[in-house]
Amino acid sequence: MKKIFNIFIIVFLISFQLKSFAGEKNYHKELITDWSRIFPDKNRNAAGPKFFKYIIDKKITYKDFVEFNKLYCAVSGSLIDPNSDSEFLFIKESKTSKKICGNYYRCCVPCSCDLMKYSEAQKMKHKFEDGFKEFYVLTIKNPCSKKDFPNRVNKDYFCNGEKINKSEVYSLNDRIVIGLLHNGKNCAKDEIDFVKSHQVTGRYCELRNNTPLENLDAGMGDIFIKLAR
Amino acid sequence: MFIKKIKNFYKYSILFLLIILTNDARAEFFEDLSKIIENNEKRLSYGISVTDFNMDGNNEFLVTGFGFPNLALSFQDGKLKNINQQKIFSDISKKTIGVAACDIDKDGFEEIYFLNTDTYSGVKKYSDRLLDIKDNNYFDLFELEKNKENLNLTAGRSVVCVDRKGDGEYGIYVANYGGPTRFYEIENELIKDKAENLNLDNITGGRSVVSGHILTERADIFAANERGANFLFKNNNGNFDDVAFDYRLDDAIQNGRGTALSDIYYRGRLDILSGNWLGYHRAWVLKNNEFIDIGNKDFDEPSRIRTIISADFDNDGFDEVFMNNIAEPNKLFRIKDNGKFEQINFKVGLEANGYGTGAAVADIDNDGILELLVSRGESKAQTLTLYKAKVDKESKYLRIKPLNKYGAPARGATVTLITNQRKHSKTIDAGSGYLCQMEPVAHYGIRKKEKNFKVEIRWTNGSKEMIDIKKLNQTIIVRQK
Repeated sequence: MKKIFNIFIIVFLISFQLKSFAGEKNYHKELITDWSRIFPDKNRNAAGPKFFKYIIDKKITYKDFVEFNKLYCAVSGSLIDPNSDSEFLFIKESKTSKKICGNYYRCCVPCSCDLMKYSEAQKMKHKFEDGFKEFYVLTIKNPCSKKDFPNRVNKDYFCNGEKINKSEVYSLNDRIVIGLLHNGKNCAKDEIDFVKSHQVTGRYCELRNNTPLENLDAGMGDIFIKLAR
Repeated sequence: MFIKKIKNFYKYSILFLLIILTNDARAEFFEDLSKIIENNEKRLSYGISVTDFNMDGNNEFLVTGFGFPNLALSFQDGKLKNINQQKIFSDISKKTIGVAACDIDKDGFEEIYFLNTDTYSGVKKYSDRLLDIKDNNYFDLFELEKNKENLNLTAGRSVVCVDRKGDGEYGIYVANYGGPTRFYEIENELIKDKAENLNLDNITGGRSVVSGHILTERADIFAANERGANFLFKNNNGNFDDVAFDYRLDDAIQNGRGTALSDIYYRGRLDILSGNWLGYHRAWVLKNNEFIDIGNKDFDEPSRIRTIISADFDNDGFDEVFMNNIAEPNKLFRIKDNGKFEQINFKVGLEANGYGTGAAVADIDNDGILELLVSRGESKAQTLTLYKAKVDKESKYLRIKPLNKYGAPARGATVTLITNQRKHSKTIDAGSGYLCQMEPVAHYGIRKKEKNFKVEIRWTNGSKEMIDIKKLNQTIIVRQK
């Protein structure tokens, strides 16, 4: 009898738990709802920094911040389906030139390569609703003085003259933050070997990153590269 | 001791089974009445409208056919029979998907707009039809020589009737796909497209459209679009301004489908339900000049949505939301107080393999309970299906049918039931669901212990009229003075 009662209690608690999950935030839906606020001119080309700025300005917890940052591609600016897998890769740290390993959520394979070649990682500290947290972000250099600024990117999103437009994008040490490097940390040797031998981050990226810009026709093509190189 | 335990085990097992069985029995929300549809052959059906086709005082279901005849289904002798005998109405050579009826010429009879589409997007071959009646014979206003320069030759989806000036002279908003929206009105006995003059001639992937008292005292329009932002046209003295972005209804990167006006909070105002194709469905309520989506995870779960209907099927005083998915199980929710969406488990009407394309509600047999007719087709010919909720025998209802000063259904007017428990608004449907239009009657089930019944009619010109209700279980016809 006692056993039956216990089973009943467990089933009840599980179903209660499931109901609690049902009330959880839907990060993807929130980004979809606010998409036209983030991109008022509907141009999201290479506009990962706009997503990052929108997210960092929210009053949210660190967990919310991490979850939101899994849902857009920092390179292309496109939304990513929830539950998509991430790519394990490394990025050069601006300050030390060390390799920082971490996970990157991307819309398509070439974006991982472009990110590895043209972005740098920086450590950032920020106060969330649940306190200060430190993490690695992905950055590109200030593109605002470029003469060949890609015309398919909304320059006003990024620049105020030759300066970074801080009301539209987040900057760190005069570099634009384009996204979050998830689980960022100094790479161990076996991790570097893993990335270098991986069919995407190794072989494919080597091929892509040695292809002349004018011959690139996958991913964002040359838009992000022109912005970030 | 051991035997006692065994006995207890059996006792509790039986109790557990009883609970399961009771829940299962309760799950049968609908009864399948499809067998009463005469000659119910497999076909490609789309939009459904509810109007008085033969002017006998009762409504009929008008069901469109895509390369199949358009039908006028009337309830006669316990059967749903096609009573149309006119070729121009059945129009078998056309591919009709959208339909709406309203009185565009102020004669009290509802003209019928059939949206034909023979291509997915852009320029189409065959124009739409706008059927009027003379000496019991239907004729197409667009076929008259004088109207030929204003034909709609763009692919489209839904149509809605809009009394933009509030004077009972309806116009028809045609949600086109890949070409400008059309807005037809009669002017000097000519059919004129006034979309450009009224700021409505946007080009988008038009999908569904509703009209009613959404923001103002006049007919506003909400259009859910595909591959482009939604429109919310605020009525500004008969002209329109798109305020969807300001009110946060634009949903720019989702693909709109079925939509309906619903008083989600039972607070005496119409809010918006909107389904998105494989996207998050919305239950938008107006708060501080912005629409907030309050749908829960079960409600907003992406699906292959087509029609959305908000109606009280089981006469319990709470509206249900029927979500018709194509080649996916349908869904049903009950809107409880405070905007809580409670999912209803059901089997009859689930139609997991049904290619639902449209649906409409009407009390077609005049027994005080709504019937739900579902049209199916698209990529697979299927029969029509008809459902009715299993209703508590003690349940009561009240139906309000407002007629405008020309004697036509006052589509776009708002009826509000005011009692000790709620202030519940319903639109007199001008076009909704997806490609469809519901009966022009506000149907209310009555809640337990509900009393002090009053009804307010807000006409399409914004004027209000209050009626005391002395008796339930009746349909009250209210004529605009």
